[in-house]
Amino acid sequence: MNEAFEVPTVVSFAFWVASAITIAAAIMVVTVRDVFKAAVFLAGSFIGVSAIFFLLNAEFVGVVQILVYVGAVSILIAFSVMMISDVSHGSQPSRARYASVTVSALVLAAIAVTVYNTEWTLNSGLTDPDAIAGLSGTFIEDEIASGEGRVRDASGIQASDSQVVQTGVLGDSTGTVGALLVREFVLPFETVGLVIVAALIGGLALMRPREGEPDPRGGG
Amino acid sequence: MTLENVLLVSGIIFAIGLYGVLSRRSTIALLMSLELLFNAVVIAAVAFSRFTPSAGLADAGAVTANEVRAALTGHVFAVLVISVAAAESALALALIFALYRAKETVEITDVSEMKR
Repeated sequence: MNEAFEVPTVVSFAFWVASAITIAAAIMVVTVRDVFKAAVFLAGSFIGVSAIFFLLNAEFVGVVQILVYVGAVSILIAFSVMMISDVSHGSQPSRARYASVTVSALVLAAIAVTVYNTEWTLNSGLTDPDAIAGLSGTFIEDEIASGEGRVRDASGIQASDSQVVQTGVLGDSTGTVGALLVREFVLPFETVGLVIVAALIGGLALMRPREGEPDPRGGG
Repeated sequence: MTLENVLLVSGIIFAIGLYGVLSRRSTIALLMSLELLFNAVVIAAVAFSRFTPSAGLADAGAVTANEVRAALTGHVFAVLVISVAAAESALALALIFALYRAKETVEITDVSEMKR
C-alpha cells in the first residue's frame, strides 16, 4: 500500500454527489413521459458523467464528453423531438415494464457481484517507486525522443539541463492522451474519422426526398 | 471513491439505460437510453485507467515511458467510443426522420413489417 494513489476525501464526496445527480437524471430519462423533458434530463446526466471524468483525473475525456454529448448529441436529440410533432404529447406508456425491471435488476446484480468478488490489480499495490512516480508523481525520462527511455523518480535527483521533469501521466493526462492518439492509436483514430464521415453521408442520403416524390413536409 | 464504487455507479447507469432500451416505445427515447449505456461503459473504461496499472508496470524491471503511457489506454478508448456514439446517434436520428416521413410515427411498436 502507498499513499500516492489515495483519493482525497473531498474528491470522494464530490464523486458521490456527481454520481447521485447522474443516476437521478438517468432515472428521469427512462421514466418521464414527455420526451422533450427526457432530453433535458439526458443533458443533465451527461454533465454529471463529465464531472465524474474530471474527478477520475480524465480531463481530456471530460472535455470531450461536454463538447460531443452536451454540445452536440443533446442538441441534436432536442431538435429532433421538436421537429417530430406527435412525440411530446402522444407518448405511450412503457411496454413490458415488469419484465424490463427484472432483466435490468438481474444485470445490475451480476455486475455488482462480479465487481466486488474480483481481486483487481490496483495502482495502490505497486511497489516500484519509479512506476509510482511515472503515474502520479514527477518523473524524468532518460531518452525523451525514443519513448523507450527509462522512467525515473524525479523527487530525489537533480535533473540535468537536457532532462525535463514531467508530471505523472495520471496527474497531467491531456498531453499523454493526445500523444497516444496520434502515435500508438493513430489507425483507430483515423478509422473513427472515416466512420463519422460515412455516418454523416449515410444520414444525408436517408434524409433526402426520393426522386419524383414531393417532400411530405411541403418543402422543395 | 474506489475502483469498485466507480464500477458500481457505472453498472447502475448501465442497468437504467438497459431498462430504458427494453421498455420505451418512442424510438427517440430509445436512442437516449442507448446513450446512457455508452456513457456507463466509458465510465468503466476511465475508472480502470485510473485505478489499475498497465501490464508492464506490475512486474519487475526498468519502467519505460511507453509502459507509463499505456496506463492511459482507457482514456483513448473512451474518446473513440464517444466519437462512434456521436456518429451512431446522427445516423439513428436520420433513420427516425426517414421512418417518420414514411409512416407518420416514431413508436417502435408501430413498425413491425420485418416480423412477417
